[in-house]
Amino acid sequence: MMDSTVLARCNLFAVLKGMEYLAEHDPVSAGLIEGRELSIQFIIARGPRGCLAFSGGRAEMKRGKHKSSIVLYFNSPEHFNKMIAGEANPVPLKGFTRLGFLTGPFMKLADRLDYYLRPTEALLKDPAYFRMNTELTAYTAFFALAEIGNHDSKGRLSAAHMPDGVLQVLVEKGIGVQIHVKRGKLSCVKGHHEDPRAILSFRDLDSAHRVLNGNLDTFTGLGSGEMAMKGFIPMLDHMNPILDLVPLYLS
Amino acid sequence: MTETKDTLNSYTKSMDLFQRALKVLPAGIPGHQGPVQSQFIPTTAYPLYADRVKDSYFWDLDGNKFIDYMCAYGPNVLGYNNDVVEAAAREQYEKGNCMALPGRKQVEFAELLVDTIEMADWAFFMKNGGDATGFARLIAHAATGREKVIMVEGGYHGVAPWTQSVTHAGITDGDVGNNLTVPWNDTAAVERLVKKYPRRIAAFIATPYDHRVFADNVLPAEGYWQKIRKICDENGIVLIIDDVRCGFRLDLGGSARYFGFEPDLACYCKALANGYPVSAVVGKDSLKDAASKVFYTGSYWSSAAPMAAGVACINELKRLDGANLMIEKGKKLTEGLVKAAAAEDLTLKISGVPSMFYMRLINDDSLMMQQEFCAECARRGVFFTSHHNHFINCSLTDEDISQTIQVASEAFAVVAKNNPGRLNR
Repeated sequence: MMDSTVLARCNLFAVLKGMEYLAEHDPVSAGLIEGRELSIQFIIARGPRGCLAFSGGRAEMKRGKHKSSIVLYFNSPEHFNKMIAGEANPVPLKGFTRLGFLTGPFMKLADRLDYYLRPTEALLKDPAYFRMNTELTAYTAFFALAEIGNHDSKGRLSAAHMPDGVLQVLVEKGIGVQIHVKRGKLSCVKGHHEDPRAILSFRDLDSAHRVLNGNLDTFTGLGSGEMAMKGFIPMLDHMNPILDLVPLYLS
Repeated sequence: MTETKDTLNSYTKSMDLFQRALKVLPAGIPGHQGPVQSQFIPTTAYPLYADRVKDSYFWDLDGNKFIDYMCAYGPNVLGYNNDVVEAAAREQYEKGNCMALPGRKQVEFAELLVDTIEMADWAFFMKNGGDATGFARLIAHAATGREKVIMVEGGYHGVAPWTQSVTHAGITDGDVGNNLTVPWNDTAAVERLVKKYPRRIAAFIATPYDHRVFADNVLPAEGYWQKIRKICDENGIVLIIDDVRCGFRLDLGGSARYFGFEPDLACYCKALANGYPVSAVVGKDSLKDAASKVFYTGSYWSSAAPMAAGVACINELKRLDGANLMIEKGKKLTEGLVKAAAAEDLTLKISGVPSMFYMRLINDDSLMMQQEFCAECARRGVFFTSHHNHFINCSLTDEDISQTIQVASEAFAVVAKNNPGRLNR
């Protein structure tokens, strides 16, 4: 069963965090934040707090409360989740003179997120779009996985059994995501670790795309060589049930 | 002088069949024999299908021959296609196998098990190890009227919902709601649970020693089983030993005898009939009535040929003093493997009882070196797995052991070359 607080965490620290990737890789998004020096604090009653900062042409989602130019309040996780779904508006507490950024560039950034995370068959025929869709989906899924593993009741059970260490997920000659596990707590960072305890790899971006979109099951992928695993497999065994929960939150 | 292969194995026919299988079978090869569950890392190093077997060997679809240390995950105890067992099974097949009534072999097999397994007063037959552990649990519930069962963390008792984690696909909270878990070798934890749930615990179930996967196997601490027996006696708890994997590889009288205690119920399967499908629960007289009352049956559970195979298998194991024979062979093999590793500045750690040893390289927290070692062995015709205990069978020869050590030496050399920073130097 989906927990709205966990969904709020996924929306904040996985979906909105995707703006970091957009700022770096999408010229349209980069143009929207060019020259912007501001930050948006999200305060969710009975839920998480995070701050999305735009500075020097980059975006960064930070956990907790930070000094911000705009403060948005949500009276519940459900309220925040509705805002992400485009069905509700936040309550601005600070930064009334900067609300134009929210209604203008920020909304356009949100549209870019939607554009890359909700592909059409036609868009996927463009190799550049295909790459960005797959990479952004992968980052979003694994950042959400960490939130689900730390906060969803079933996710926590699986995370508690994950042995300590770094689980590296990667696309051969491509992006990497590291799941750091310590005493049942998960954290996710981008990049490649030099000494992971377990590795789950995709042969290419196409394999990753099909797995992330439910068009290739992992057993088939591993058996056919489109995916590979090595290292301390209990890390993967206990991550998989958490990964299975990701579509529940992000679909 | 042993000979090693000039070229490494390839598996074109196996992979072609697997591609067909992926279209019509979930996961291609379902269950523990699939390349994912078997930890075939990388998949390309391993065969996926066997074509035929004999003694300690199997041949894959591509014609590669392997010395097999998984023994079909245990059932091959005398040697594949053992002549005595095959003759007994064939004779019974010709008379009749699946019939409207059980054959006389059912009674003969039960008598033999009662004579062989020290604590057994009766026997009840089914097909798989999971059938046996499930039945034992039902008997405990029926006999005590209690709902909870204590299990050891990491213990494996089959795939029925109650044996799995709630995090596994398809398992609900209700399936595992009456399970209580304790760490292995921790009698104080058992006592705490007994105190916390007075008169609510039906059974304690565990394997004779901790032979979980991905970890060194751990024997019972001195006095562990005797203390568990005492706790169970004092609190009306049924003591169940899951001897499915260890059975007849430690002691022909049952692994409980090997460790010096008497359970109330014991579950057997793998080594019972040298590959023919039959499992058993044996128990004490005090639980015979409860066992009679539990309705538990299946279409093929009384099939006569596996019973005939079982009778022949147990008698052969007795004739050969099979358990001690396999322990001796396991010692010889593992001592050779340890020496071969040391020659390449690697340390191989062996744990568990030698007839079903677990091995891993040290300085290898991720098991990546162990996976590399097993893959190199598979490419050269020796079948190990990197995550599971291995199995010795009675037909393993000194020549097989020598050849295995030769192959292992070559594999360790590859591992050492690829991992210079993790050597003992």
